[in-house]
Amino acid sequence: MPLFEGLGSGGEKTAVVIDLGAAYTKCGFAGETGPRFIIPSEIQKPGQQQSIKVVQYNINTEELYSNLKEFIHMLYFRHLLVNPRDRRVVIIESILCPSHFRETLTKVFFKQFEVPSVLFAPSHLMAIMSLGINSGLVMDCGYTETLVLPVYECIPILPAWEALPLGGKAIHKELDGLLVEQCTVDSDSSTGQSLPTYIHIDPLMLFVLSCCPVRTCFISDLQRGLKIQEAKFNLGGTAERPTPPPDVDYPLDGEKILHIKGPIRDSVMEMLFEQDNEEKSVASLVLDALVKCPIDTRKALSENLVIIGGTAMLPGFLHRLLAEIRLLVEKPKYRDALATKSFRLHSPPAKPNCTAWLGGAIFGALQDILGSRSVSRDYYNQTGRIPDWCCLSSPPPESVYDAGKTPPPLMKRAFSTEK
Amino acid sequence: MASLLQPDRVLYLVHGEKKIRSPLSTLYFCRYCSELRSLECVSHEVDSHYCPSCLENMPSAEAKLKKNRCANCFDCPCCMHTLSTRATNIPAPLPDDPSKTTMKKAYYLACGFCRWTSRDVGMADKSVASGGWQEPDNPHTQRINKLIEYYQQLAQREKLERDRKKLARRRPYMPLAFSQHTIHVVEKYGLGTRLQRQRPGAPITSLAGLSLKEGEDQKEINIEPAQALDEVEPLPEDCYTRPINLPEVTSLRQRLLQPDFQPAGASQLHPKHKHLLIKRSLRCRKCEHNLSKPEFNPTSIKFKIQLVAVSYIPEVRIMSIPNLRFQKECQVLLTLTNPVENITHVTLVGCEEGDPEDINSTAKVMVPTKELVLAGKDAAADYDELAEPQDFQDDPDVVAFRKSNKIGFFIKVVPQREEDGDVTVSFKIRHDFRNLAAPIRPSEEGDAPTEAIWLTHHVELSLGPIIA
Repeated sequence: MPLFEGLGSGGEKTAVVIDLGAAYTKCGFAGETGPRFIIPSEIQKPGQQQSIKVVQYNINTEELYSNLKEFIHMLYFRHLLVNPRDRRVVIIESILCPSHFRETLTKVFFKQFEVPSVLFAPSHLMAIMSLGINSGLVMDCGYTETLVLPVYECIPILPAWEALPLGGKAIHKELDGLLVEQCTVDSDSSTGQSLPTYIHIDPLMLFVLSCCPVRTCFISDLQRGLKIQEAKFNLGGTAERPTPPPDVDYPLDGEKILHIKGPIRDSVMEMLFEQDNEEKSVASLVLDALVKCPIDTRKALSENLVIIGGTAMLPGFLHRLLAEIRLLVEKPKYRDALATKSFRLHSPPAKPNCTAWLGGAIFGALQDILGSRSVSRDYYNQTGRIPDWCCLSSPPPESVYDAGKTPPPLMKRAFSTEK
Repeated sequence: MASLLQPDRVLYLVHGEKKIRSPLSTLYFCRYCSELRSLECVSHEVDSHYCPSCLENMPSAEAKLKKNRCANCFDCPCCMHTLSTRATNIPAPLPDDPSKTTMKKAYYLACGFCRWTSRDVGMADKSVASGGWQEPDNPHTQRINKLIEYYQQLAQREKLERDRKKLARRRPYMPLAFSQHTIHVVEKYGLGTRLQRQRPGAPITSLAGLSLKEGEDQKEINIEPAQALDEVEPLPEDCYTRPINLPEVTSLRQRLLQPDFQPAGASQLHPKHKHLLIKRSLRCRKCEHNLSKPEFNPTSIKFKIQLVAVSYIPEVRIMSIPNLRFQKECQVLLTLTNPVENITHVTLVGCEEGDPEDINSTAKVMVPTKELVLAGKDAAADYDELAEPQDFQDDPDVVAFRKSNKIGFFIKVVPQREEDGDVTVSFKIRHDFRNLAAPIRPSEEGDAPTEAIWLTHHVELSLGPIIA
């Protein structure tokens, strides 16, 4: 068992790749084929039963700092089992991440854990890297929102971003509402109880319920879905709902059983495709983004659709999405604007919730340039901030070395990977 | 009464980047810096790996290869309990004589908690007790490795470009403006010299991926770009009508335990090797000395280095509190324990007005002005009945009792605020500390080998609510 095998080329240790999502965090090492762990982005404070979500944008800096510190501590010493000081970090982030959150996260990494360098990689760009193509329209269906960003020749077309708050969170809310309204719970002592009496008692129940849409619900195909929507809004007056799937008895814990009605199972996901008053749905985001892109790029983008994110793993999602896009492109709004009518979908070499992570892992394995593209600890200590794409006033890394005062090193690069 | 012994009633202040107040039992003492340290101002390091079920230590190189998983132990994919290996006897034909059968042992994995067995997922019984169980491979491994190779080639090119540009710039070694001209001259037809050089919009380059630039040859680098598909498989028809067998469908937690596969059906849940745990060592950030280093052996709870604060700093504890009344002087009994073996002299000083560290106190406190002397900790004191008690002249107004290395003393508290919430007092405790870690200099003229330095700590006590 040669000892050098695990060290990587040139003796530098493999970087740590972390994808901090609102619901789940994927963490692992660069160069591997999948994350080591997918854990909920939550911390548990002693004495409190309710876990605290780590990715919150509206809390004050102190609290966010301590939450992030505890979470990252757990990531390193429970799951990754490595010293933070030895390895570079690649963080997969959404480009819409607020600067305040980014800066606090950077502060935690540099001040508390003293990592050598940090690289913030946009998730949509990383998804393209995992495929080996240069252009693609990437749609990230996550927990808080669905975000579409086209990438052309490895550069994201930033003005063409589109987003909707239709994601896992919205589905949970809708499902909870429907369950509370329509479903009953049986337990040893009673039958026909309604759900709210149990949810408020036990936060553990909420966790069990969060698995419920994944296990029991699905997305119908286009024809069926349109009929369900019609029946719901009763536009025609005579619309008849297609036969619902059978009911499910969902055990909440050892005693209690929740009876989920059949119609809920196929109709709750329709909210992703129901067009609201602005005629926006998850499918129309793709077309709106295409319209915003330059004309020459549209064909390449439409034939390279990439769907990532946990919500995209719902059964029937991809098929329905393609069908909806093809339906919508015939509508007058898009028919004249878009000449391209062919849409093709990629299947990345990883599950959709890990694709962005995989791209980050591939990038993190490129030790030649990882150092030069990252923000080093020295740069952070000198400037006190991390460069953001939306802020043009950050000095470029090389100008931090003043040519007049200290002679810049001749052969070494500004951030060498040598210690 | 036991609530008085709760550790968080007496807090010591730690001076670090942030001022942290925490009980002495959670703090460490760096005897090289002579300062208290808390968990937040030390750096944590991974010391050793071990398996939680077989308690076997694993060297870090092996842990890295095995991806931090134990070779012998498995986790149940359904309930995450540890799997145990069970043996059955199955009839198997003898190798020499196919007609006769003999009993051979076959091993399978079973969970004692949820009754899952390896036969449920179709794993065949193995003939060896350990080492026969393999985890399935990720089918995409080859493609991902090819992608990594391809991008590594591109990365090498980018690195060469950068180095070349840096060299080109450094060669004339002129002020920046002039060297731009030089670059232009050198790379006459370089397409985007201005584009490729880092500009104030530098952060944008962090958004750019890696790609072959124009004009670069495609000879050595080739990768099959992924093919996009026109059609996606729809849901099977019976999905709409078939009743679900819920135990057969995996829950989210079970799926996410296997990130590479995330199977939806329980018949594809394979067991994974058990994840290791670590022992942590702590290091002072300022002087880089170890504050805590555990033993290598996973079964041992001792430490090689254990610089905890309770073994260096005298500890204050609350012994009894009378009824606290607003604006009335009450006498609180505290104890002070000496953790070291020499005699320690302790002086208590009240906090002055406007002390920046004194933010929480809600009462005035009068501490004894005289110096308190604490006897050294003598391990044999309990058993040695014939030892003569050491003679300290104790003022009975100040010192309530004395027992080996502990004394009880009184402080007077006058609560200043009539409100809900605890009465909090703070004072400073100053004691002498002999640093045994310092190198013993060759004594000149018979000096005392260790000199005492005086340390001051800020202590806060939470005495409970006011009883009207």
